[in-house]
Amino acid sequence: MTTGSGKKLQILLGRQQSGLVIVILLLVVILTTLTGSHIDRTAGKSVNNFFNSHTLMQTATDASFFAVMAVGATMVIISGGIDLSVGSIYALCGVLTALMLRHFQIDSPLAVILGILASVGLGIVCGTLNGLMVVGLEVHPFIITLGTMWIFRGIAFVISKAESILVPGSLTAFAKANLGLSPALYPVAMLIMIAVTAAGAFYLSKTVMGRHIYAIGGNAEASRYAGLHVKRITISVFAISGLTAGIAAFLGSAYYGSACCGDATGYELYVIASAVVGGASLSGGKGNAVSAMLGAILIILIRQSIRTLHFDQNYEWIIIGAATIIAVVLDKLNARLTLQRAMK
Amino acid sequence: MKKLLIFGAILVLSLVLISNAVKAEPNAPAAEPNKSAAQPQKKSITITMIAKSSTNPVFLSARTGAEDKAKELSKKLGIDIKIDWRTPPVEDGQVQAQRIAQAVNEGTDCVLLSSSDASKVTGVINDAVDRGVPVFAFDSDAPNSKRFAFYGVDDIETGQMVMKNLAELVKGKANVGIMAGNQNAPNLQKRVQGAKMEAAKYPDIKIVGTFYHAETPQDAAAEVLRVMNAYPEINAFAMIGGWPLFTTTLLTDLDPNKVTVVAVDALPAQLAYIEKGIVPILLAQSTYLWGSVSVELIIDKIYLHKEVPVMNKMELVKVTKETLPQWAKQLKDWGFTDVPQRYLKEQK
Repeated sequence: MTTGSGKKLQILLGRQQSGLVIVILLLVVILTTLTGSHIDRTAGKSVNNFFNSHTLMQTATDASFFAVMAVGATMVIISGGIDLSVGSIYALCGVLTALMLRHFQIDSPLAVILGILASVGLGIVCGTLNGLMVVGLEVHPFIITLGTMWIFRGIAFVISKAESILVPGSLTAFAKANLGLSPALYPVAMLIMIAVTAAGAFYLSKTVMGRHIYAIGGNAEASRYAGLHVKRITISVFAISGLTAGIAAFLGSAYYGSACCGDATGYELYVIASAVVGGASLSGGKGNAVSAMLGAILIILIRQSIRTLHFDQNYEWIIIGAATIIAVVLDKLNARLTLQRAMK
Repeated sequence: MKKLLIFGAILVLSLVLISNAVKAEPNAPAAEPNKSAAQPQKKSITITMIAKSSTNPVFLSARTGAEDKAKELSKKLGIDIKIDWRTPPVEDGQVQAQRIAQAVNEGTDCVLLSSSDASKVTGVINDAVDRGVPVFAFDSDAPNSKRFAFYGVDDIETGQMVMKNLAELVKGKANVGIMAGNQNAPNLQKRVQGAKMEAAKYPDIKIVGTFYHAETPQDAAAEVLRVMNAYPEINAFAMIGGWPLFTTTLLTDLDPNKVTVVAVDALPAQLAYIEKGIVPILLAQSTYLWGSVSVELIIDKIYLHKEVPVMNKMELVKVTKETLPQWAKQLKDWGFTDVPQRYLKEQK
């Protein structure tokens, strides 16, 4: 191996994402090894209970809703804030979009376009409201988004009258298109997750606004003195968080065929956990979109493993909580070690 | 980085060790290739059971019924029938849909389901059936799906029965609060509808409101207290689900001289309300039979290839002070271990 390749490998392994990828791969190997197999009814041959195309696709799909929201939530966390209302924004966007499409009796490819626009637009509105309240009222984002968490879900409850609202078939056909793959394989959610992550990564690392988010998360006062519009940037990150919640809401309601006010209850905890497991620091200034996506995949994989390996599922929350803490502690240790090495 | 890798490996190893410590019950369908190799002629059938909530005692009793019937039929038919319990801890239609997909991907032979939100699971049920995995519904149906059968009460009739019995007790005159649970559950919506339809037959029965609550005993009992304080005119409750009575809290808060109650379900925790005369009538769903009858019908369909009716109706059992000892004995026979002894002594 040449010195150049060795250095490249060292740089690659030194990236934050590498640790997550390694843990995910190890978990995949363990699951594949320890689980059994069954005869696939369609193919007629023996397949591994975990390492088969359907389970892998299903895992990626389950992770996609959290991962998409985690990209937006990560930006809020990088800026030094937090958004507890993402689950409620998801519910509200889903319900309003479904109600709108039902009201106008639209069920065609047009419904897909209108649905995306409506859900994303509503998400941006909700997120912007959060941001405006945070900067305008000068109240900590924890409190503002705690309040809007209830308000948004309450609005969803009232306008939907607690009904579960079906979405047009065209939306489900879109979300569950198999794009030429085998039947019952639906890659759209996974592809949207990758696209959103790529867009988020590009925004954070390659655009001026993205770098500004890191700046205000690192030191808001210094950023202000440097001439950054801290308030405008703060509002924008909450708007982006709402945007990603709107995308996830559209995806979820389209995939599962309906929207209701109870959707995504508790998802904010999974989303924040995904961001934090992915390396975002709750004190701000640190994190990235790809790691957030990997964090979501890891959490879903842990949840998947509890069922695939037939653990007593009553331990699910304990295991996920412990894994979240361990992942964050490991990341902090890694950061300390890296700093120590750099100082030598 | 090297240390991070080492720590990561330790984490994974810890997860594996923990997994062995918290492994599921022996009858869970873990991968046992050697066992099947030792008895190659014994067929194994896995039924994945997904109820609404694993913290609701009615579904735990259904699980007991399913597992008992699985054991009985395993012996009788010489096959290995396993119940794979995958009920989420809290009601979530989306999580149920994910678990159905997961079970199908892992090769389950049948899914036994009580839907929290029929619209969320219909698509995935249809996918499962298209992939050759039949689905049986109990308690809360998914009627627009490709499930092959349903077993449970007629929810409209249930709501009507609750209100009819209540109307008789209050002699056709009362201000009634309807206590429901999850507002998204289609079976509960139908029960509320049935209760209102029946109430309409009594001009002096006024429905003050329908009150929803999280389906935990604590939240349900708290909601009853809130409603009583907020609506002091209420002198009767139609509880179309039994959650408020799964705790003993209301034993001291419900005054039978001031409020009359009829509720659905009659699990051991609720029997004290009958004994003390606080709730004169409980309309019991034989929740044990949810599991027991469902498994029997599933095996009839997928193993014995018999015709199974699409709709299989469960009758409610009226439990009063007079029939309390018999009902308590039935619960004990069904495997409930928390039936108070004093009710069984009365039977003797």
